[in-house]
Amino acid sequence: MKCNFHFAALLVILMLNIVFTQKMVHQYYFENYVTAIIYCLLNLVLFPIAFVIYKQDQKKA
Amino acid sequence: MTQKNNKIPFNEDNYTHNINRNNERKLDRRGFMKTLVGAAGVFAVSSLPWGGVAAKELMGLGNKEYPHKKIVDIKSIPIGHSVDFKFPGEHDDAILIRLTETKYVAYQNACTHLRCPVFWEKEKGEMLCPCHHGKFDVETGAPTAGPPRRPLPEIEVKVEKGAVYAVKVKRYEV
Repeated sequence: MKCNFHFAALLVILMLNIVFTQKMVHQYYFENYVTAIIYCLLNLVLFPIAFVIYKQDQKKA
Repeated sequence: MTQKNNKIPFNEDNYTHNINRNNERKLDRRGFMKTLVGAAGVFAVSSLPWGGVAAKELMGLGNKEYPHKKIVDIKSIPIGHSVDFKFPGEHDDAILIRLTETKYVAYQNACTHLRCPVFWEKEKGEMLCPCHHGKFDVETGAPTAGPPRRPLPEIEVKVEKGAVYAVKVKRYEV
């Protein structure tokens, strides 16, 4: 049985990506620019996390 | 890798495993995870411009003053009527509504839901977006019904020498 934790983690990250993008766009139009930038950074941070998770999964296999 | 995954595991002579599509087994677990990581990358890259534009607005670069723009002569807009115009840019649709003798309101009329044009319904006294029946309060621009959640951006107007001028787009109150 492979480690499904990594798999689930990546799915969660994709979900968060969608949520953060949605929030970012809305906060931008609401002119809360600081909040928009925070969500943008969160979205940026998620990518390296996803990549690390993927690499870890590769190592285990 | 393609060949490894493209193999049918064992030879079965029956009627249930007889579908033989090309690359049927190409998207394995690892491949799917790779796609997920790629999607995260796409999300990251595509959120960059939003962050950039937001930062630009924060630094005050977006606060430039637009020249006052004449919308319409008072004579040609009766009370209760509306007129469409563009402000501040050539592609920013806006609407001016004359409510009383002296009261004018103007909004950027791209619906805050999906940017359909918002129309002034004179008989009902409300602003309506026909796409999903979003309605806006004509006095404030606040959404009153339907999907939109954000008020229409209000345009400050002034009356001068028998004509109505657009001055600037108001910021939302923080």
